[in-house]
Amino acid sequence: MAQAEIPYQEAMPLHDPHSWVTKYWYSQDHKVIAVQYGITAMAVGLLALVLSWIMRLQIGWPGVFGIEPALYYQSFTMHGMIMVIYLLTAFLLGSFGNYLVPLMLGARDMVFPFVNMISYHVYLLSVIILLAGYFVPGGVTGAGWTLYPPQAILTGTPGADWGIASMLLSLAVFIVAFTMGGLNYVTTILQARTRGMTLMRMPLSIWGIFAATVLGLLAFPALFVSAVMMLLDNFVGTSFFMPAISSALEGGMAGGMIEGTDAYEGGSPLLFQHLFWFFGHPEVYIVALPAFGVVSDLISVHARKNIFGYRLMVWAIVAIGVLSFIVWAHHMYVAGMHPYFGFFFATTTLVIAVPTAIKVYNWTLTLWRANIRFTVPMLFAIAFVITFVVGGLTGLFLGNVIVDVPLSDTYFVVAHFHMVMGVAPILVIFGGIYHWYPKITGRMLNDTLGRLHFWFTFLGTYAIYFPMHYLGFVGVPRRYYDHGTTSAFYPESAQFLDKGISVAAFIVGAAQFLFIANLVVSYFRGKPAGDNPWEATSLEWRTPQTPPVHGNWGDKLPTVHRWAYDFSVPGAEQDFIPQDVPREGADGKPQEKGAVAS
Amino acid sequence: MASAAGHATIIRDWGSDVTTFKGVPWGKAMMWIFLLSDTFIFSCFLTAYMTVRTTTAEPWPNASEVFSLTVLGQSVPLLLIAIMTFDLITSSGTMAMAVNYGYRRDKKKAVRLILATAFFGFVFVSMQAFEWYKLISEGVRPFKNNWGAEQFGACFFMITGFHGLHVSAGVAYLLIIAHRVHKGKYDHTNYEIIEIVGLYWHFVDLVWVFIFAFFYLW
Amino acid sequence: MSSEVGQQHPLSIYFAVWVGLFIVSGLSYATDFLQDGLMRWGLILLFMFVKAGYIVAIFMHLKYERWALIYALLLPPGALLVLVGLMWMESDYTWLTRIEYFGEDPYAVAKPVVH
Repeated sequence: MAQAEIPYQEAMPLHDPHSWVTKYWYSQDHKVIAVQYGITAMAVGLLALVLSWIMRLQIGWPGVFGIEPALYYQSFTMHGMIMVIYLLTAFLLGSFGNYLVPLMLGARDMVFPFVNMISYHVYLLSVIILLAGYFVPGGVTGAGWTLYPPQAILTGTPGADWGIASMLLSLAVFIVAFTMGGLNYVTTILQARTRGMTLMRMPLSIWGIFAATVLGLLAFPALFVSAVMMLLDNFVGTSFFMPAISSALEGGMAGGMIEGTDAYEGGSPLLFQHLFWFFGHPEVYIVALPAFGVVSDLISVHARKNIFGYRLMVWAIVAIGVLSFIVWAHHMYVAGMHPYFGFFFATTTLVIAVPTAIKVYNWTLTLWRANIRFTVPMLFAIAFVITFVVGGLTGLFLGNVIVDVPLSDTYFVVAHFHMVMGVAPILVIFGGIYHWYPKITGRMLNDTLGRLHFWFTFLGTYAIYFPMHYLGFVGVPRRYYDHGTTSAFYPESAQFLDKGISVAAFIVGAAQFLFIANLVVSYFRGKPAGDNPWEATSLEWRTPQTPPVHGNWGDKLPTVHRWAYDFSVPGAEQDFIPQDVPREGADGKPQEKGAVAS
Repeated sequence: MASAAGHATIIRDWGSDVTTFKGVPWGKAMMWIFLLSDTFIFSCFLTAYMTVRTTTAEPWPNASEVFSLTVLGQSVPLLLIAIMTFDLITSSGTMAMAVNYGYRRDKKKAVRLILATAFFGFVFVSMQAFEWYKLISEGVRPFKNNWGAEQFGACFFMITGFHGLHVSAGVAYLLIIAHRVHKGKYDHTNYEIIEIVGLYWHFVDLVWVFIFAFFYLW
Repeated sequence: MSSEVGQQHPLSIYFAVWVGLFIVSGLSYATDFLQDGLMRWGLILLFMFVKAGYIVAIFMHLKYERWALIYALLLPPGALLVLVGLMWMESDYTWLTRIEYFGEDPYAVAKPVVH
């Protein structure tokens, strides 16, 4: 086992970029790939933001802006899918994962940099295929981001011919890209850590990314399979998801290309829903777990205090990951599934509240009596905890079958999932960018702009989503095109709130351009950051150069002697001790022993 | 090492630094994790097949009759499928031996055995093509057949098609590796690349075991 | 231990497994001639798992790996068992509702196959 003593990475040959193209476009450097992922994800994210404006224009002032029903449906479909998959998943794993995994573990790069490079370019291809949907006949699909058949591929739904094809194909390609990246992250975390870096010394960011990637590798197959089957239903005329009744509907098959395909018969729409949510629920945690991890690190660093209950935090991440595979049908309480399932899935769903609550308690206890520095990343981190609690509590409502039945498909659900897996992870992404931007570029982001951005975003999202809970209670259904002019049964108050929400949404959306401006301007004009502006302990702040160069560590990999949370250690000179500082024994000499991180 | 005493190593391995899977090269770890992910893909396909088959109110065609061949005037059920099964097992055997010879640094034998594996894989795909041809000529389509539930054809073409794609990709992968081993690209290593491609190939065989049981025998 | 010493096993074990797989496959094939029922299904599943076990344990060398890897690979598919089990119940229920509401013959037999 000689090999276990010496990390392979020490002698790993790195590809040597010579030209601009190999350095910035076909780069095999995980840091460049991370930035590529980040910029692409942010670009499509901005598109999704604009799409949400289109929705809000129609909902706030029905009919005034001449938005056709098809455009409305296409907009919320694309908004949802882009935000969940192409922004959140791609950013948290593709960007944070790529940047942080090798740096925080003390590795030179991912284990297979070439595969990592391909991963980004396949992701880019999936984005292009997705957006190509706008240029095919009929436009993009308007089936809602869950793409439920039969309606997703029946005439009458926008984009039922080719839009749905571009969506499904794009998802399949995205899964290929994710698999290539994900295999790299997992293998790097498991097999390429530096000396002294045990799993239980890894920063929680890495734990979150690790668990989320494993979930992704096991859950995306279900989406892949359902995408393949729906493509077959649409183009080959199979009936996996299509029951006979869908042929009887006006129009019948939309995309059937083969002569002689007769009507659909005997397929099971429920099968699609099960497969979709077998992927879809883990997907929630694919987004949430990296956010949990990153926010733990942000809180600990900026509160100058070790994270409370590190081991429990790790086990909570693992437990959430495991449980996420047996709760999926709580999205389907009203779908007409087996009557016993409600009981089973409500139970497992509520069980998941236990590890989640542990995490919230531990974040709070980390803040308790800490020397908190209210930096911009810290503001976002605290905002995350608050938002996550709000979203999580409404999850308890929806997890119970009896309460869910009247609330499902209302704005209460919209408010819930936007709080818990829309706003909350986005806040972490912002916090993470403010935190690591100095390492990536060597310059600080502008603080004033950052604070402005924070308050607009934080208060603004509450202005958007808090009233939606009320809308849900009074029974306003989600996804309806028209809330006012033709549907007089909406209460006055709901129509008023709709306008208010729309105004808030425009303001919050516009505030994001402050952030973009900050990113761009600070890149050229920002205050030089130095090596470790936040006085953090984890390895990424210990690179010989800032920004780190290709290969990260110079000649020798760092050696890890302690966990990542040695803040405010009694008796220490500074209030933080980086992970690669040797531990001192009772005699004051460096001590090598002691694999236990505490 | 898989023994009772080895059990104590779990905590030590997972608690150690640098590597969790001791002595496992990066490529092999990555292939194993990929195969785990691929397991989920095939399992979802098979679960979907189970669901539509159980759900449909139409009778399901009898696979034993559908896939029978007439030999000397006698109808033998599942004959071709049985031959395909034996063919794939044989290819797995040659693959395992290729791995073994690779670690013995007997490059010549290893390359020959990989090529033999690829050959058996090719034979498998050819027989599958024949099977598809036969079924199609008997009127089986993804959207209809003459005997019962239309999902029969859909599941058949989808599942065996996806498996066939894996076999075809595996043949290409084997040929590439055989070529590179022959050229001496891996002479400085332990030839663990042969084990990695072997893992993939055995996995394809493994999937066939499940397809055979669930699709052809059910 | 594992690949660092190069998976050195005598060739005989591969031949033994190979022959074993042939025999079990033959038996598995033979179940096709049995009457449908619990017996046949028990045998099909038994032979399937024996074959899968042989392939994974010997051909894929999992038996010779360390427990850390074995568990990492064998535990996650447990999630699939949940999916399969629940989908089994679910599809049965869907079938039941179809018979209930559309009144089709639950014991219809597929048309005989004529080649």
